Amino acid sequence: MTNWRFVGGLLVAAAIGTLVAAQQPATGGWAPPKTPWGDPDLQGVWRYEASVPLERPAQFAGRASLTDEEVARNQKLEDEQAAQRLAGAEGAAVGRRSVGESPIRGNEYNSFWQDHGRPRQVYKQTSLVVDPADGRIPYTPDAKKADARASARYGAGPYESFLDPDTGERCLTDGVTALMWQGPNGGHNRIVQSQGYVTILHEEYLDRRIIPVDGRQASGIRQWFGNAVARWEGSTLVVETANFVDRTNYEWATIFMRPSETLRLVERFTRTGATTMDYRITVEDPATFARAWTAQIPITRLPDETLIYEYACHEGNYAMPNLLAGGRIDAAKRQR
Amino acid sequence: MRAGIRVAIAVLAGVAIVAAAAVWIHRPASGQSPDGSASYRAPRTADGKPDLNGIWQALNTANFDLQAHAARPALSLLPAAPRSGVPGLARATPVELPDPVVRALGAVGGVPAGEGVVVGGEIPYQPWAAAKRQENGREWVKRDPEIKCFMPGVPRATYLPYPFQILQGTNKIVIAYEFAGATRTIHMDTVGDSPSPTWMGWSRGRWDGDTLVVEVTDFNEDTWFDRAGNFHSDALKVTERYTRDSADHLTYQATIEDPKVFTRPWTIRMPLYRRVEPNKQLLEYKCVEFVEELMYGHLGVVDPATGRRP
Repeated sequence: MTNWRFVGGLLVAAAIGTLVAAQQPATGGWAPPKTPWGDPDLQGVWRYEASVPLERPAQFAGRASLTDEEVARNQKLEDEQAAQRLAGAEGAAVGRRSVGESPIRGNEYNSFWQDHGRPRQVYKQTSLVVDPADGRIPYTPDAKKADARASARYGAGPYESFLDPDTGERCLTDGVTALMWQGPNGGHNRIVQSQGYVTILHEEYLDRRIIPVDGRQASGIRQWFGNAVARWEGSTLVVETANFVDRTNYEWATIFMRPSETLRLVERFTRTGATTMDYRITVEDPATFARAWTAQIPITRLPDETLIYEYACHEGNYAMPNLLAGGRIDAAKRQR
Repeated sequence: MRAGIRVAIAVLAGVAIVAAAAVWIHRPASGQSPDGSASYRAPRTADGKPDLNGIWQALNTANFDLQAHAARPALSLLPAAPRSGVPGLARATPVELPDPVVRALGAVGGVPAGEGVVVGGEIPYQPWAAAKRQENGREWVKRDPEIKCFMPGVPRATYLPYPFQILQGTNKIVIAYEFAGATRTIHMDTVGDSPSPTWMGWSRGRWDGDTLVVEVTDFNEDTWFDRAGNFHSDALKVTERYTRDSADHLTYQATIEDPKVFTRPWTIRMPLYRRVEPNKQLLEYKCVEFVEELMYGHLGVVDPATGRRP
């Protein structure tokens, strides 16, 4: 007689094993170096260099992975674009977005600021968002409308006062949520570890996170970047961040980045090789999302000599007076 | 007669301030006894370096004025109008009153007295630069980059009235300042030159015994040293020395070289204090949004503070 209870137990164990395998990054037996005080060493300059879109494009609906043929085609495309950039090609070929695709008419201004020095990496993932299964950010109906409004406004205005440009144009920040993978103009992140702290210096907007890993409680003071606390789970740094200030009343280019008092982030940093990190972020905020969502993001460690530079955005914000001057001209035209 | 006594008292007070400053400033280089031997040995990090980790803050009036100064009612003062009317009742000495721009601040807008942090007391300006420093002081409210939330530069970031945190990595040391979220990366490894001038400088560090020595170069000419209008050019080079004096003190010393502005190098020195509160953390002071009304309020179609056309 078969011991069904035993078989059932095995099946459950196998199912859990599969689940865990799906959740744990594959390190292939590679163990990260250690800091002198024995923590896994994540130090260096890291950057998202893949070509995977955040949300799954409609053409890939229903599947999480590209076919081998699609991967090969994308690789060819990226190689060609990289070669064009290296050859000093101008205009559309320089930017990752062509002028035609850009929401900003004539992308030349932005292209000037953007760093496209290295070819993008091709992965099989069809979206960075891996949960929900459809690869889309689960906005609430209200948030979907707010995001459509934000997209329509971005780069178009109207700009009646300094409150109207988006937070990036105001040199404030683009938020924590996308910090590790966004920013073609300054998406580099330097991680520095000191005993009891992991510090992340993000080039764009001088964004900075000083994350205690010494077991302390986060303060209750609400901040733009919330209050982060971290712990090690094996070789994975797990960072939990809450106590964000509400800035949903500001303009955000896309609203998934905006902080509110109910935003909560859980991030997992796992080095999977000498130059690769599996970064996952789970975003929860009933003010914007119908449910929590998770993105799985491959990031790359740049060569040791890579430096990040001073991003003096506010100090040289010529865009602000120029936008407002344009806003006054537009308003005068409307009156005529 | 009485006026003469007042002048004498003022001079004596000034001498006392400078003398008091001299007592601290002229003591031997921190962490060392007069014969040069170490009197305090800093604890070590796991890789054997002196441990400077922690949240630190200056507790002085250097950000008001690096030099010794008496208290006064405001940073911006204007001469009072002469008395009119009764002949013979003109003021014996001119009176200066707070600029109307800052009058509403009352005692909050006053300048506390301070002994100064300049070794020797004097900032050796070239004559043209001494005149410009005076002009900067008068135009403080229009010119001081601190008011606009611009990155404060070095050494000013150290003695702003905000804490900063030293985070010692293995080949980089981060100094994170609360004000404006300004950050410096001290390169303890070999790096190339800065590709451009900067607000916070390009910092290369090394250990000299127990002292962290940082050579800071590649500044722009847009930062100041204090609210008194002390300034520099893009030829500025700052050599900083951070030394642990005790469990909860650092001595900070910065030597300033700028041949375009000064006749010789000069040095400031001050103690820095550990913020010993349990769970003290560096908080945000993202002041860009605090100054947008000031900087851009008059440029829009409407001023959001009033809802009216500017």
